[in-house]
Amino acid sequence: MGTRRLLLALAVAAVLIALSLLLGRFGAYLVRAVAIAGIGALSLNLLIGYCGQISFAQGALLGVGAYVAGNLGNAGVDGVLALLGAGVATAAIGALIGLPALRLRGLYFAIATLAAQAILEYLFKMLEPFTGGVSGLVIRQPAFFGVPVASDQVSAAVSVLVLLIAWLALTRLTRTNLGRAFLVVRESEVVAKGMGIDVARTKAWAFAISGFVAGIAGGLIGFAARLASPEAFTLDLSADYIAMIIVGGLGSWAGPLVGAAFVVLLPEAIQRVGEAFDIANLLSALRELAFGLLIILFLIFEPRGLSSLLPRLRWAQPRRRGAAPSLGEPGGAAVATKGGERP
Amino acid sequence: MTLALQLAVAGLATGSVYALIALGIVLIYKCSGVVNFAQGAYAMLGAYASYVLLRAGLPAVLAVLASMGVMAGIGALTERLVLRPMLKAPVVAVMMVTLGLLICARAACLAVFGPDQIAFPPVFPAGAVSAGGIFITYNYIAAGILAAALSLGFLLFYAATPMGLMQRCAADNSRAALAIGIHVSNQVSAAWAMSAALAGLAGTLLATLNGLSIGLADIGMVAFPVVVVGGLSSLEGALVAGLVLGVLQSFTDGLLTPALEDVLRANTGIYSVGALQQVLPYALLVLMLLLRPQGLFGRRGAERI
Repeated sequence: MGTRRLLLALAVAAVLIALSLLLGRFGAYLVRAVAIAGIGALSLNLLIGYCGQISFAQGALLGVGAYVAGNLGNAGVDGVLALLGAGVATAAIGALIGLPALRLRGLYFAIATLAAQAILEYLFKMLEPFTGGVSGLVIRQPAFFGVPVASDQVSAAVSVLVLLIAWLALTRLTRTNLGRAFLVVRESEVVAKGMGIDVARTKAWAFAISGFVAGIAGGLIGFAARLASPEAFTLDLSADYIAMIIVGGLGSWAGPLVGAAFVVLLPEAIQRVGEAFDIANLLSALRELAFGLLIILFLIFEPRGLSSLLPRLRWAQPRRRGAAPSLGEPGGAAVATKGGERP
Repeated sequence: MTLALQLAVAGLATGSVYALIALGIVLIYKCSGVVNFAQGAYAMLGAYASYVLLRAGLPAVLAVLASMGVMAGIGALTERLVLRPMLKAPVVAVMMVTLGLLICARAACLAVFGPDQIAFPPVFPAGAVSAGGIFITYNYIAAGILAAALSLGFLLFYAATPMGLMQRCAADNSRAALAIGIHVSNQVSAAWAMSAALAGLAGTLLATLNGLSIGLADIGMVAFPVVVVGGLSSLEGALVAGLVLGVLQSFTDGLLTPALEDVLRANTGIYSVGALQQVLPYALLVLMLLLRPQGLFGRRGAERI
């Protein structure tokens, strides 16, 4: 990785932490929400944007992370170990969900992840000793390296640090042989096989790594909310994360962060507007409506997402072929052939 | 025995409604290669449209027909405005767009009608018949028969009319269809319109059985297991799988869950298995994908790597 990118990442992290310190509790809450969503979006981007495997089970995977980290934390395990444990457990579940992908084509696999989401949601409600059933699991205040996370500022800083580590690790990953194998599998499984890539193993790794990161993000969600309940990890949450990576721009590494910020901050903005116009009872509907419209409009008009918009505006350069391909671009079109030919 | 019969009848009634929705998904998939997440939204919108029209004082038959017409319009509009610009986009992107449509439709209904369940005005006469020791309300009979008849009628239409033939041509091979003078994109629009109308009727029927709320949109999610179990490209499969899943759900709810809970209560600390009937279709879906991914009636080849 270039020094410039590293410095940029460090600077962004420093600015985020400074913001959380300057803006008081609400600012810290926003920074933490964006950072955690960013981690989850990075994880989904690895799977959908880089390996071309669509998943609707991200919400449930975050839930697995939250429950595992919460239980470990409640048992007195240090926060760092609890997060790692959540990562490992979620990686295992993620790989399990990914198993059908080794045999099924994109479209059928996407439906299988839908089933995984539904089944996990059911298990969250049923495994009462572990999940606290319908009312949820109350999570105690975590301690990282023995230091209790007493304020929102500290937990925001922890989230930003984890985001930084995840971002550095994942961008590094895409420069390894495995990371390049992901790209080849996304573009064409036939070519991948021809190049001697073990497609099944590559996909399994994508699911495991994505699951690991999702588990950590889920653990942070649990520690932040101090509660893990089934209705927090529904299909709607999966849709939120899919919206993040679409709005931000699939298959780039800045995209998920931009998308996460956008999707987290939009409801807050809508809330402010709503309070100004006294339509508080319509807020949740408006928020959902904005989400749905965003997904539709971005996919139709700007499939490369927000993160590709900025450079193009600044330098007004012609569209570069081959740069960070997305679902709507010829480079990303290989995803389509896996989903079955459209007549 | 009476209980089993009662459950079977109730299951067949809801199952035929599932079939109606699943038929629409299969039709759209065959014609445009898109798995439509918004099918549940069509069902919900159809139910709300019927509700508004019934409240406006229209007679039941007219109101239901008019809401089907409205839904056909919405379906065709979706195809024209949202799907057509994405003709060259990958399948996954199109799936996500339909997910966006579902979210929008749900939010719009939430904003207009609020989150509470609304009592649906009576469409069918109140009352019940009892036969062979079982007791069925007219609602269930009418919904079941209407849905089953329409499903069969639709299969007949698809198999035996000139328009159905054109639909099949366009779905099988759009280039060949163009070559012999079939207006393929009109056929695709028509497929979306018909799917939306069928789903709208199914939504209305479900609302007469269970009341009206935005939760109706979730029915689209149950339709996915139905479609996969039946075979994604098979209309007959959707019909059969819909009925089978409806009956299975009803039996799970009425017989299996109480039995399981009795066993669990006697032996463990678990008191409830929750809504087992809601997760059952998904378990079946996973099983089907692992054992026979083309579904009960599907053709082999499209789904495996």
